[in-house]
Amino acid sequence: MNFNKDTNQAYLYIAPAVILVSLICIYPIIRTLIMSFTDNDGLNPANFIGFDNYIKLFLDPNYIIPIKNTIIWTVLATVFPVSIGFLFAYSIQFLPRSNFFQILIYIPATVSAAAAGVLFGFILDKSGLFNQVLALIGFEHLNRDWLFRAPENTYSMIGAYTWQATGINMMIFLVGLQGLPKEPMEAAKIDGAKGFTLIFKIVIPMIMPYFVIASLLALINSFRIFDSVWVMTMGGPGRYSETLAVTMYREGFIIFDLGYAAAVAVLISLVGLVFSYYYLKSVLTKEDVS
Amino acid sequence: MNYKTKEKVNLTVGYIGMIIVVMAWIYPVFFLIVNANKTASQYSKGDKTEIIFGTAFIDNAIKAWNKGIGDGVVNSLIYGFCGSSLAVIFAFLAAFGIVRLKMKNGLLWFLLIYSGTVFPFQMYLLPLFEAYVAIGIYNTKFGLILMYVSICIPFATFVLRGFFLTVPWELQELAKIEGASNLQILYKIMMPLAKAPLLLVFLIQFTWIWNDLLFGMVLSRSTSVRPVTSALVGMQNLYAQMDGPTILMATVMASIPTLVIFLLLQRHFIRGLTLGSMGTGKG
Repeated sequence: MNFNKDTNQAYLYIAPAVILVSLICIYPIIRTLIMSFTDNDGLNPANFIGFDNYIKLFLDPNYIIPIKNTIIWTVLATVFPVSIGFLFAYSIQFLPRSNFFQILIYIPATVSAAAAGVLFGFILDKSGLFNQVLALIGFEHLNRDWLFRAPENTYSMIGAYTWQATGINMMIFLVGLQGLPKEPMEAAKIDGAKGFTLIFKIVIPMIMPYFVIASLLALINSFRIFDSVWVMTMGGPGRYSETLAVTMYREGFIIFDLGYAAAVAVLISLVGLVFSYYYLKSVLTKEDVS
Repeated sequence: MNYKTKEKVNLTVGYIGMIIVVMAWIYPVFFLIVNANKTASQYSKGDKTEIIFGTAFIDNAIKAWNKGIGDGVVNSLIYGFCGSSLAVIFAFLAAFGIVRLKMKNGLLWFLLIYSGTVFPFQMYLLPLFEAYVAIGIYNTKFGLILMYVSICIPFATFVLRGFFLTVPWELQELAKIEGASNLQILYKIMMPLAKAPLLLVFLIQFTWIWNDLLFGMVLSRSTSVRPVTSALVGMQNLYAQMDGPTILMATVMASIPTLVIFLLLQRHFIRGLTLGSMGTGKG
């Protein structure tokens, strides 16, 4: 009898959380989905137009650029942070008392994407630090306005993003490496495995679950990249460095083609959800094991 | 003997290599601090790698504070504290209800709450903006706090649910027999046990709110409401060409709180971060 009373009381306990999440998170998701099938422009009554927004997204040549940029971002902003993060973690765990290195390497990851974007705006400026250092080591002919020329700007921004996104990957791999049993490594070393053989044949297969988690997390974040691009180039010049998340913001809040912006948001979500599904699956199985 | 010397040489080479790499890695931060301590003309005309010992940073800090970063810092402190603590309280209640009061369909309720963090934020923006304008909370502190609280609840519930699953049931049964109400159990027994996870979740969510740019951009406009990140970006657009060091100083000021939180927590962060980045990544 007490039991029933508790279950009813429980509704009161979850009520604030459920109400807030429903209003602020779940309602907008449904509304965006509906909006994506309309020609909503924020002023006139919206008409249902079926899949027109989605068709436009794939046929309009203007949107090839953001789609292409988003693919470049997704690939490179996953590969670089994950692999550099692994290299840092791998080297650090050979050095005793290297906690200090770890903290220093992680510092860029504590800074907001906005702050890092502003900082790299200065570094990559025409008269900024990067060009000065290039000139100093004899590559003055490479000097250029890194954020105002395509495709250099996308690659420069991915570089700046990598600086920021590597820390978290290093931490993930440090956890993975510290949990490894020592015996297989020792055995392999006695058998003469060294350097890259050791890394690729022994270490990486052993911490594969961590590679999967780190990569999926990086994919999720890089596919919807917004902050870094917005702060450093606003997608410009023209729309040459735009990514889909920037397109969504521009269409929704500057051009006010809400229906179209909603369709872009849904597209980002569909791809994001696929990554998220596998991410959650691998994180949750990891949790159960440990 | 020979093996040991070799090992030592290897370690020394390793350390030296690592020091060089880490110095290069952290150099942008060094650049930031050094150049935040220059006057506008020293920066624009001079060598960016040069270190100038002076007190220009005081001037720059005052200018940066008055040109917008001050309002931003104050606003974001409010959003961080209110948003994160309320989210933690609501999530604590919800997780307690779901796990400890053995809710019927508890898992489904949990998934409903958790679904709030699975979608990319792009899915929230348009309807939130529309609704905020319609009910008159666009560009208000209340509106931003409401949004930050709600968006932080799913992850906080996720972590605290995990915590409640680990607390032994005997404690609760015993208190029940002694006649304690559920609220008393929550407050007197669970709360002291949950101090560590509560603090961890609070700090992780505080960091996320502090670093958020997108929602601040979409839901606020005026300097008295916008968070620190929007303030910084707004200042960059206005003054970066004219007065670089002031903007660099503003960047330093906008980065200190999250840096301090990381240094305090360090490794405890990882677990939370890997899970938390789901909804609260840097995208």
